[in-house]
Amino acid sequence: MAIRTRDKDRSRILFIAPAILWLLTFTLFPLLYSLYLSLHGSRFLRVTHFVGLENYRMVLTDYRFWQAFRVTLTFVVVDVIATTFIGLLLALLFNNPIKGIRLFRTLSTIPLLAAPVAIGYICMIIFYEEGGPINNLLVALGMNGINWISHPFWAKVAVCIADVWQWAPFAFMVLLAALQSVPDEMYEAAVLDTVSSWQTFIHITLPMIRHALVTVVLLRTVEAFKIFDIPFALTNGGPGLATRTLTFNVYTTGLRDQNLGEATAISFLLVIIMLTATFVFFRIYRSEYE
Amino acid sequence: MYRPKMPAWKRVLMIIAMVIATVWLIFPFYWAVITSLKKPADVFKLSFIPFVQFQPTLENWRTELTLRTKEVVGGLSTSFIVAVSAAAIALAIGTLAGYGLARFRYQRWKNRDIAMWILSQRFLPPAATVIPFFLMMRKFGLIDTPLALILVNVTFTIPFTVMILRDAFGELPLELEESALVDGCTPFQTLVWIALPLVAPALVSAAIISFAFTWNEFLFAFILTYSQATPMTVVIAGTQDTQGVQFWYVSTRMLMAVIPPTILAMAIQRYIVRGLTLGAVKG
Repeated sequence: MAIRTRDKDRSRILFIAPAILWLLTFTLFPLLYSLYLSLHGSRFLRVTHFVGLENYRMVLTDYRFWQAFRVTLTFVVVDVIATTFIGLLLALLFNNPIKGIRLFRTLSTIPLLAAPVAIGYICMIIFYEEGGPINNLLVALGMNGINWISHPFWAKVAVCIADVWQWAPFAFMVLLAALQSVPDEMYEAAVLDTVSSWQTFIHITLPMIRHALVTVVLLRTVEAFKIFDIPFALTNGGPGLATRTLTFNVYTTGLRDQNLGEATAISFLLVIIMLTATFVFFRIYRSEYE
Repeated sequence: MYRPKMPAWKRVLMIIAMVIATVWLIFPFYWAVITSLKKPADVFKLSFIPFVQFQPTLENWRTELTLRTKEVVGGLSTSFIVAVSAAAIALAIGTLAGYGLARFRYQRWKNRDIAMWILSQRFLPPAATVIPFFLMMRKFGLIDTPLALILVNVTFTIPFTVMILRDAFGELPLELEESALVDGCTPFQTLVWIALPLVAPALVSAAIISFAFTWNEFLFAFILTYSQATPMTVVIAGTQDTQGVQFWYVSTRMLMAVIPPTILAMAIQRYIVRGLTLGAVKG
């Protein structure tokens, strides 16, 4: 729908110009600058000389890159599957005329807009090995405490729990909104046909909330690739490199080790990985977005 | 909502599941609150109920708010200034672009392509621009200033404001604006006097989402500021370095960082699903 304006194109451009100029200046320009940096050597945060693809070769032969790649991928897969699944379960559970739904919905908005770094720190307190509530409880029950922070496997689990805790409510709210827009007649018809509730779910509910499910999976995939705040706060990337993600590596390589070339090379590889993931996703679910 | 009648045992199971879900959801906040009210000696003990299991104290809050004003109050005011400014700028830019995309047909690039391009900013990992951005800000002498944080956060929140407002304007009936144009208003006047008041709820939710995202941003804030312009997220991260595992202070700061955006979030519950999915799912 468009409205006709008397003065033609000139003034229309002025409406979108600020947004486009802003993004060109603060997104496209830094990206090109980053590409330039990734092809150059540097010393004390200053660019020295052109090195071609040398930085990329260094990064791709560095075990720390592949370690961070695996860690990031693990977090993405766990985050997407667990948040979507838990969110869907909660949405189905709360899509019932039971008292307390509105309260739960209100509470669910809290994690969505709470700072991930703050969540990371509170989880550090909760997962603390000597005197944190979880281990205290395990000990009180006669079990051994778990090395949440100092064991590579459990540190990953702790990060995943914190991340899923924050984002499952997002999946829940989106899917609940979708469930509530399913017309009642659909269910009434199913009941008349005496279909089992599992079949109702597969044949009626699922197709109706497909669009919302796809949206949740896509958005969580994209956001999960960016993960940095929670492992930074909760485990500081440790123990060793166990919870160091690609974003974490960009930060340590670029600003702690002051190697601009390799840091920007890592960031470009991250962009390529994310673009590939979202491209594949869009290819599969193109119809949902048209 | 139509549902067949549930048997009693199913209802009971459901209520149990709901209670577990609620406890799971609020436990971290509850733990932060009681940790902030504990004396250091009580922090590492397993105690949940104030007055019964431990004697609560406001000492930690008093120390934070009176003795550490530079860090804590400074952090809160920086966060506030940065988040309000970034939200205001992103809203202004987003309103214009949202209106343009909803109401005009652009020739050279199609509206859908422009919208997709703006939306794709959310798909770009912040790590991709953090190093060049740091160097740019250093070049302009903006390291450790609120302005650097405002610039970067406007960039991150523009996709939200544009998409939310584009949808909001798109749903308005055309007649009012058309008659304003016939009466001689310019498109800009039509936007300001006719369309803008009608999308007030969308404006509020776009503003709150931008405010919250800016308030919560950590990576860039951590890299661009170190003493004068540290927002609350960086201040929490500093607790550990300077004071070891003083969890009672970590939890006061965590709460101060979390409360403002989450209170605002509850106010826009109805719009939050739509806002956070950039309009893909209607709440």
